[in-house]
Amino acid sequence: MTEHSEKQWIESAAAKPRNIFSEEIVAVIIFIIIALLPIFITGYPIYILPQYMLFGVLAMSLALLWGFVGILSFGQAAFFAVGAYTMGLAMQTNFGVNSGYIGILISPLVGGALAAITGYFLFNAGVKATYFVLVTLALSIMIEQIAVSQSDITGGWNGMYIDRMSLTFGSLGEISLYNDIPVYYAILPVVIAMYAFVRWFATSRFGKILIGIRENEDRMTALGFNISAYKTGAFALSGAIACLAGALYGAHANFVAPSLGGVLFSTEVVVWVAIAGRSSLLAALLGGIIVASLSNYLSTVTPNYWQLVLGIIFILVIVFLKGGVAGAISDLSKHLQSKIK
Amino acid sequence: METIISVLVDATLITLVLALAAFGLAIIYGLVGVINMGHGAMLTLGAYFTWATTTAGVPFILAVVLAALGVAIVGLLLEHIIIRHFYDKPFDTLLLTWAFFLIMTEVIKIVFGTDFRNVSNPLPGAIDFGTIKIPAYKGAIAIFSLLLIGATAFVFYKTNLGIKIRALIQNREAASLLGLNISRTYKFVFCIGSGIAGLAGGLISPMLSVDPYIGNVYLIRSFFVVIVGGVGQLLGGTLIGSFFIGGAETIFALFSKQVFAQSIVFLLAIVILRYRPAGILKKS
Amino acid sequence: MSSLLRTEGLTKRFAGLIANEAIDFELDTSSIRCVIGPNGAGKTTFISMISGHLQPNEGRIYYKNQDITKLNVFKRARIGIARKFQTPTVFDELTVYDNIELAVLGTDCPYNDRNKNINEVLELVHLTNGSDKPVKFLSHGQRQWLEIGLLLAVKAELLLLDEPTAGMTVEETESTARLIKNLTQEFQLSMIIIEHDINFIRDLNAPVTVLHLGRVLMEGSFEQVSANEKVREIYLGHGNS
Repeated sequence: MTEHSEKQWIESAAAKPRNIFSEEIVAVIIFIIIALLPIFITGYPIYILPQYMLFGVLAMSLALLWGFVGILSFGQAAFFAVGAYTMGLAMQTNFGVNSGYIGILISPLVGGALAAITGYFLFNAGVKATYFVLVTLALSIMIEQIAVSQSDITGGWNGMYIDRMSLTFGSLGEISLYNDIPVYYAILPVVIAMYAFVRWFATSRFGKILIGIRENEDRMTALGFNISAYKTGAFALSGAIACLAGALYGAHANFVAPSLGGVLFSTEVVVWVAIAGRSSLLAALLGGIIVASLSNYLSTVTPNYWQLVLGIIFILVIVFLKGGVAGAISDLSKHLQSKIK
Repeated sequence: METIISVLVDATLITLVLALAAFGLAIIYGLVGVINMGHGAMLTLGAYFTWATTTAGVPFILAVVLAALGVAIVGLLLEHIIIRHFYDKPFDTLLLTWAFFLIMTEVIKIVFGTDFRNVSNPLPGAIDFGTIKIPAYKGAIAIFSLLLIGATAFVFYKTNLGIKIRALIQNREAASLLGLNISRTYKFVFCIGSGIAGLAGGLISPMLSVDPYIGNVYLIRSFFVVIVGGVGQLLGGTLIGSFFIGGAETIFALFSKQVFAQSIVFLLAIVILRYRPAGILKKS
Repeated sequence: MSSLLRTEGLTKRFAGLIANEAIDFELDTSSIRCVIGPNGAGKTTFISMISGHLQPNEGRIYYKNQDITKLNVFKRARIGIARKFQTPTVFDELTVYDNIELAVLGTDCPYNDRNKNINEVLELVHLTNGSDKPVKFLSHGQRQWLEIGLLLAVKAELLLLDEPTAGMTVEETESTARLIKNLTQEFQLSMIIIEHDINFIRDLNAPVTVLHLGRVLMEGSFEQVSANEKVREIYLGHGNS
């Protein structure tokens, strides 16, 4: 199968009515497809797909914040970049332990801490949601500027090269991740695990409370919930996820530059999630993968027109299709189901 | 002593230029509550219109006026087609104006290309005040900025037209019950704000090389200017906010790299935003 | 019967206006108190200070003999003070079931008991049928009851009800009076109820506190209050209620 029809296949699998196929089943189908892809395709698509999967996780981290709590952040890419730089710095260390493992361990902590501090500072004061958007935008700019100006650490404009890690199992041996296939199958399980983890969180008590906060903050406060703590927690979780995804991205792309954390990329993530559907983690994950790969493909062909089209779709989604593609599918399936009854 | 004076002069110039750049947003955000994420794009558009017209031989001042008109028309279209349906929904207008920025930037890239453009400085040279040298053009812009903001504030606070507009906006329900035409007023304000942004973009263009992202630098700074100064405080707020953001940046830039200075100022602005959401002067 | 809530000299000023002045108020456990007064008497301001939404300029509030004056809204909710707002503040887009579930999540109810607790509350407020419908499709009266249901689900001990029968039909108002009396008895709840509906207040047969221009005018039984000359004057003087 060609790359193009593979994506159609993925899209149609996601398009199945969500009441008949619950999100879990659709997710399983999609992950199986992704797991089996290398059997049918080789070359560049397989090389690059893990990066798109990580973009998908980044999008998913925004969906958690925006779809569930209703907090929009224009700064998710900042965490992503911080993760990549963390991995880069970790790979430069030599503590006798697998440096890559250090990067993987530290990055969610760094991202979570950064988000927790910022969140606590802002949410505790009841800063308006619209101001929060501006602050996260400013954070994006700041991270980019710090990455540029602290060139001794980060390599400045030129970026930082990151060694590729390998998987070590103590005395049991080592698996090199230099080739496409091993790294593909190293990153895929982590992506699945991150999706499963966030989904578990979102459907748990914590997730329901986040939805309650989104629906009526005042009522939640009057019911005894410390909403600023929950918002900070959600922000910290999304920051940690984005940061870990960034670390893995750095490990895979072997390079990170300041623009990865900048405004343009940060806001691109918002566009992906808006179009895919912010209330569905799976949709955001897929949306990230699909739109990122489309962007990459089309931007070599017609860069300006593609961004223009994306911008127009974005406007149409905000005006007409608030729930994005996932929301439209869900409404459609509910409509069809009621027709059948 | 000389350095202090020259730093102060520098800071004042930068303050006033920034105030000019932010003023369009102060009007739109302050009066009709739209978080205009397309403000930077409007500045950029103004710069490009100016470049296009001056390249075609139009004298600078006329070119800038035409640019302002051009951007005002674009703002009018934006307002009429999209924004006017979403005035009560700040989140939606935020995203929609951001989409406007994305689209406008691409259109600019398509129409004008991505190479750096140059608008020639109509007032080259510097004015000598003994030990202080002030770039002539920058000085002129600074004075113009002060006059513009002063005049606009005068219109909004002292003339009948301005008082009517403000009353209308502060009490939309009552105004609509009285049959006053709110939508026209909102359109008017939005156009003025856009036009001023375009004007600012045109006036600033000789001082920088023009590229599709030139206005972006001013986007977040303009927002912080307006928030730190106090949303809705058109005169004092814009000047105080600009002084804080622009002035602080100048001072910090003496001690560290320019790029890093900006980050520090943003951090300070965020702290102020958190403790004084109604503006640096007001206790919330 | 012991003192559940006590305020001493509670005062609230807004720019140039005294909304509440030196209010001394006391409520026991398992008791209902109706708070009445013409518009602008300061009733909602008073409730807001008890729930924590407004901070008093002077005075203290004691709950179970602890000074809670500085405690914020969510902490007060956690210790048992829950408020029903003048306009029903519920989760319109969620189902009735999900609404109550959120309230239950705010307690330390174990996972296995959640469903049982939710259904119990649904039954108490007569919303068992159609609990899977989004709240925005409920009638106004049902939404008021849902909000009361939220307060029950969160195991409140002091319920602050701000005009619970506003917009209700006569039948609904009578049902609400019955509901409140049953709940107070069955669960030993205390309630402060702001109301304008005379019949409802008479039905409740509970002590009444009359507020006027921010001060307590008088307190007594419904009969005493309705017979009082001054009370009649302030109501007639300010138009019918």
